[in-house]
Amino acid sequence: MEGTLSVAERLAAMRRRRVAVLSVLGLLLVLVVIAAVALGAVYVPIATSARIIVSRLPLLGRLVDATWSPTQETIIISVRLPRVLLALLVGMGLALAGAIFQGLFRNPLADPSIIGSSQGAALGATIAFYFGINFGWGGLSAVTLFAFVGAFLAVFVVYVIARAGGRVSIAYLLLVGFALSSFLASIVSLLMVMSEDRMHNIFFWLMGGLGTGSWDAVLAVLPCIAVGGVVSVIFAKDLNLLMLGEERATQLGLEARRFQWIMFAVASVVVGAAVSVSGIIGFVGLMTPHIVRLLTGPDHRYLVPGSLIGGGIFMVVADTLARTLIAPNELPVGIVTAFFGAPFFIYLLKRRRHAIA
Amino acid sequence: MEWKTLQAKDVHVAYYGEDVVSGINLKVSSGDFIGIVGPNGSGKTSFLRALSRTLRPREGLILLGEMDLYTMPVRQVARALAMVPQDNPISFGFTALEVVLMGRNPHLGRLQGVGPYDLEMARNAMEKANVWHLADRPVNELSGGERQRVIIAQALAQDTGLLLMDEPTQHLDINHQLTLLEMLSGMCASGQAVVMVVHDLNLASQYCGQLIVIRRGREFARGTPAEVLTSAVLQEVFGVGSIVTRHAVTERPHVIFLPAGNGDLEHPGPRVHLICGGASGASLMRELLERGCYVTAGVLNLGDGDEEVGRALEIRMAVESPFSHISEEAHLANLELIREAEVVVVSDLHVGSGNLVNLEAALQALTWGKRVYMFSPRPIAERDHTEGGAAALYRRLLREGARETADREELLGEVVGERRESG
Repeated sequence: MEGTLSVAERLAAMRRRRVAVLSVLGLLLVLVVIAAVALGAVYVPIATSARIIVSRLPLLGRLVDATWSPTQETIIISVRLPRVLLALLVGMGLALAGAIFQGLFRNPLADPSIIGSSQGAALGATIAFYFGINFGWGGLSAVTLFAFVGAFLAVFVVYVIARAGGRVSIAYLLLVGFALSSFLASIVSLLMVMSEDRMHNIFFWLMGGLGTGSWDAVLAVLPCIAVGGVVSVIFAKDLNLLMLGEERATQLGLEARRFQWIMFAVASVVVGAAVSVSGIIGFVGLMTPHIVRLLTGPDHRYLVPGSLIGGGIFMVVADTLARTLIAPNELPVGIVTAFFGAPFFIYLLKRRRHAIA
Repeated sequence: MEWKTLQAKDVHVAYYGEDVVSGINLKVSSGDFIGIVGPNGSGKTSFLRALSRTLRPREGLILLGEMDLYTMPVRQVARALAMVPQDNPISFGFTALEVVLMGRNPHLGRLQGVGPYDLEMARNAMEKANVWHLADRPVNELSGGERQRVIIAQALAQDTGLLLMDEPTQHLDINHQLTLLEMLSGMCASGQAVVMVVHDLNLASQYCGQLIVIRRGREFARGTPAEVLTSAVLQEVFGVGSIVTRHAVTERPHVIFLPAGNGDLEHPGPRVHLICGGASGASLMRELLERGCYVTAGVLNLGDGDEEVGRALEIRMAVESPFSHISEEAHLANLELIREAEVVVVSDLHVGSGNLVNLEAALQALTWGKRVYMFSPRPIAERDHTEGGAAALYRRLLREGARETADREELLGEVVGERRESG
């Protein structure tokens, strides 16, 4: 019965199905972005929004005639598009980091905001704000750099503690992550209280929101997410090997320890970039890889790009809800993601009850 | 297949400073089929892990060709030798074929996908291990024996000259055992080599060209099955009486075990339950095992130094999650082990509120009429983190008949001598 299909054909069929899933997700992402750009206080018809965006693209731009008003163009290009793109990048980054952490810890409950990496980034950024550290390094600001370092140190601490005895226990990882998150958050609060005048800024930033979305922010985050995404795709095969355990992965020719540190660094760069522009937004990194895994299977060569796309979709939708639900006022987007994400987290905990004990 | 020889020179392997392998030598060349046998806790698995570049020896050298195995890049090692570990829980839903294809990793570039040749190798490996019909099944849904064969196929797909296997037959039925060993001897006949830890002495006898008997981390005997498998050796190493005959067909030695006269003959000493923690019990575990005791331990937290050593020595333990207070459940499991023991030894462990209940278990042992020894090179006062609670329990233990000593030899002498007096 199996004999009728060769191995190659079987693998090719599996690959085609997964590529199809990714293509559908990608198409969905484009539609969601265009819809998100069209929606808002002033509705710009979807077709018009799409044509305005296309007109700004190289080559394709010549194909559309400008039949829209300058106001519409300003709203789309200067206000909405950067914000939507920023949401897209932040969502991609958080979901990518979630996929990486879940792979590294072989733990479906890992997420940047649960294991403390987001809070580490937040503390790093807050320190930069608080002490007014202000130097640029190309597109990288001091805030972003400090966020990278904070994210990395937090993961480092959690990993080293949770590894005691050579094995990472799920319950222990969550507890250590939770404790460290709270600890770091308390330092952030302390700095906020001490910094009266600048407190306002920090507070709003930390609430988690994309209201500051500007082209500058988009251009600051884009390289980090792009590099993170590319590196993760390159190393996707090694993440698969690590699923067999550190020891077995080494026996199959992977320098497991070194690889783990590379991926921690990648995840930290991505989380640091996301947190430095959007504050702490939870649950995107937890939910997205899970849902994508149901569609593509556990293979990281598909799971990583799938999480990038899926995180983008999730975040763009969440941010659009955040700014339209109670218009003209805005909800912090963290509220929207937590509203959907927290029940999902509890569902996972219940489903994996046995594995967690 | 860049494979010449694998040599272990005076290899010592230690967990938390306790040697579980002390000075084993081995040379594996093309065509060898070597079986490593020995009782539980003798260090077989640790030695094999050292050979596979998984567990760095504390001392000694392992050479692959002329190169030090532990300075070679892991990819290069993985092209020369493949390891089949004892059990490998895979929790994510990769299919059997995907798992086996991972065995091709050392031969592939980072961005290189699997090609037709890799697929052919994977299919061959899966047919040899008789799992080809499971190719599309998620491995986490397979039975223990099927998963074991998938891991064997993964190692075969590595296409290495040398295979290291830790009890590859353990989850397999007799048909699959024979098929596997038949295939392995075929591979050795065609110039590959296999080193295998194996419990079934008759299977080892039928298929291995050379056997190494390990006892207490040291080589006890080595040679062909006919040279090694004698009643005298089996009596000495396993403490089991046996008759060794010749297999009617293969003429190889065939071992028939005699029923034990008075219970557990592998362990002529008394059954001892060790209450320890931190790394306070590790050396006692070994010393008691070496004196022929059957040793159990508890309650230990997973990942604790003593728990790691106990696991390496394959002793039965009552365990608790890492860094947690001892639960009712673990305590009851501990009492169960104590009930089966003759003697209870309390190491010089540190006592806090989390493990105070272990001392109550010792008290319970006294009420059951067990002999209880406290080994206290340092007085309990220095190890009591319960504001006197532990010290009070020690005093009560002494009142109710437990003995306390600071002298290791005296302790071991009394524990082991115990059965001789009463028996």
